[in-house]
Amino acid sequence: MSTLDATGEAARRPFPGRRVRTGDVLLQGVAGLAALGAVVLLGLIAYKIVDGARLSLSTFGLGFLTHVGWDPVHSRFGAGGFLFGTAVTSIGALLLATPLALGIALFLTELAPRWIRGPVTALVETLAAIPSVVIGLWGILVLGPVLHDHVMPALHSTLGFIPLFGPSTTGSTIFTAILVLTIMILPIVSSISRELFVGVPPELKEAALGLGTTRWEMVRGVVLPYTRGGVAAAMILGLGRAVGEAIAVAQVSGAFNNGISWNLFSSGNTLAAQIALEYQSAETNLDVSSLFYLGLILLVFSLVVNLLARVVVRRGARRQGVLAR
Amino acid sequence: MPRNGKLVRITVALAAAGLTAALAVVASVGTAGARSTGTLKGAGSTLIAPALAVWQPMYSGDSLQYSAIGSGGGIQAISHRTVDFGASDAPLTKSQGNGCNGCVQIPWALTATSPVVNIPGVAAHQLKLTGTVLANIYLGTITKWNDPAIKSLNKGLKLPNLSITPVHRSDGSGDTYVFTNYLSKVSKSWKTKVGNATTVSWPTGIGGKGNAGVAAAVSANSGSIGYVSIFYVIQNHLDLARLKNASGNYELPTIASIEASAQLVKTGRIAANNKISITNPPKSKKYANAYPLATFTYVIVPRTSPKAAELKAFITWALGSKAQSSIKKYVFAPMPDSVAKAAKKTLATLHS
Repeated sequence: MSTLDATGEAARRPFPGRRVRTGDVLLQGVAGLAALGAVVLLGLIAYKIVDGARLSLSTFGLGFLTHVGWDPVHSRFGAGGFLFGTAVTSIGALLLATPLALGIALFLTELAPRWIRGPVTALVETLAAIPSVVIGLWGILVLGPVLHDHVMPALHSTLGFIPLFGPSTTGSTIFTAILVLTIMILPIVSSISRELFVGVPPELKEAALGLGTTRWEMVRGVVLPYTRGGVAAAMILGLGRAVGEAIAVAQVSGAFNNGISWNLFSSGNTLAAQIALEYQSAETNLDVSSLFYLGLILLVFSLVVNLLARVVVRRGARRQGVLAR
Repeated sequence: MPRNGKLVRITVALAAAGLTAALAVVASVGTAGARSTGTLKGAGSTLIAPALAVWQPMYSGDSLQYSAIGSGGGIQAISHRTVDFGASDAPLTKSQGNGCNGCVQIPWALTATSPVVNIPGVAAHQLKLTGTVLANIYLGTITKWNDPAIKSLNKGLKLPNLSITPVHRSDGSGDTYVFTNYLSKVSKSWKTKVGNATTVSWPTGIGGKGNAGVAAAVSANSGSIGYVSIFYVIQNHLDLARLKNASGNYELPTIASIEASAQLVKTGRIAANNKISITNPPKSKKYANAYPLATFTYVIVPRTSPKAAELKAFITWALGSKAQSSIKKYVFAPMPDSVAKAAKKTLATLHS
């Protein structure tokens, strides 16, 4: 990648003295227009969201971020509960998905017999192709009841001293949302990690094995440090997906807007899910504007996540360069 | 090199063609809008959706397209004129009426929303509830099925020591409007704390999207209670709760009990905007068997529209006896004459 980037500048004009060809000019124009279109579109979306949120911004100010509740009858809106729900569900999903995804990726690159790798890789990636609304439906009808009847009571009776595992009354909970999101981000993190692990130079691995390390020591000492930056970026991409997912979460989280609780087995709601559930039924201008405000928070958050991923990848690439030399 | 040049040219041609096509699509979306001749497009209430599904093949005029996106969504859709008619079980609020820019609402069907329960060990349609108990369950002050307040109403039933999960609509809904309208009439603390609207701030419980979402949540969670229109009760084999009316009788939603409630409508006293509420009829011999959660449901149309003639024809047909009796099987009661008359009067004011 990095060598391509370095010569990219020169590659644009292979023969500086040659006459300009209309085809090239046209291509440059069309491609440039497409790129410009994307930038303009982003700008317009950002403008529209800020513009739409203006009324709510001036009414509630920053207090909107901490107020918990969504009451259209009395026109009191706040993002506190949704921020909390978004943070808990997406971080929870990331914590569950990362070790699983790394395990899958390691299995597929280092441990599995060759004939198994192709089919399993394809299957794991198929997970990413399941529409979120289908996963959500499965979450309501299958996962929720199973969790409510078996998993949550068991966790509550054994680990109930931790406030996270309180009593449960329903299958539509924050915990269900975490599991559904875990399933959705697992293929993202695992397929990127697999690509990264495949890219570890074999001579490094062979050198480690030649020094007499076990396979686990080789993975810990060579594969993981070599790919650290990339794996971190994969995690951040997964986090972005978890934060932005609306439909599946709306289906399984219980859509409860009126309080926050550390009990994972209680219902809650997230920023994206609330927008998806509420935008069609918002009656007053303030209600609509407050939904735009939620969208603004989401937009700012995903921009930060993307920038973070960029920084991490760049830093990781630099370290990789040093290690490879 | 020459091969490369050709490739570039082909790429450019393809890209240019793609761009032209994209621009053409954008342009046509910009001008054509959502309508086409011979079709009436509608959106909104999930409560009326089964009726429209029956009417679709029966109606010989324009072909009908309906999306059941919830009453709140239907009002928005007709306000933005992305459909030809909206459908809502809740009458337009003042701000909605202004936002809709010259819309009229016409009552066109009569049915009910009803509490459903999922309690293991309790036979179908046996649980009895009063409005106050229902309000307290949704307020979160009654949390167990074996609460004395529920037990005293159900002497013969074995009620389990099980937590109650109240299920509500997470989208804007006419069912929610009717339900909270009733709860506001029977419970003071509901009226002050929560209120009456298509979306309210629920003190407790979980949300389901659409009637189907609530039905799914109730079937999936033992110990839950929800409210859905009757069609979804039948379709999902849910258990109804009997609801006590002001005269002291426990009623299920039937054509007869809904018609009894509809007697509340006084001939010649229907407001000009057709807003009618028939929840919780008072104590009287006339309403002895009235179902307290009955509701009219409305079609919302612009007073001026290019499709005025088509809309008039369709809604007149829907108010007719053939269309009305075709939906009786889903517990839609025929419209009382007085309401049908008011509806036709409003309908006559539509013009293109």
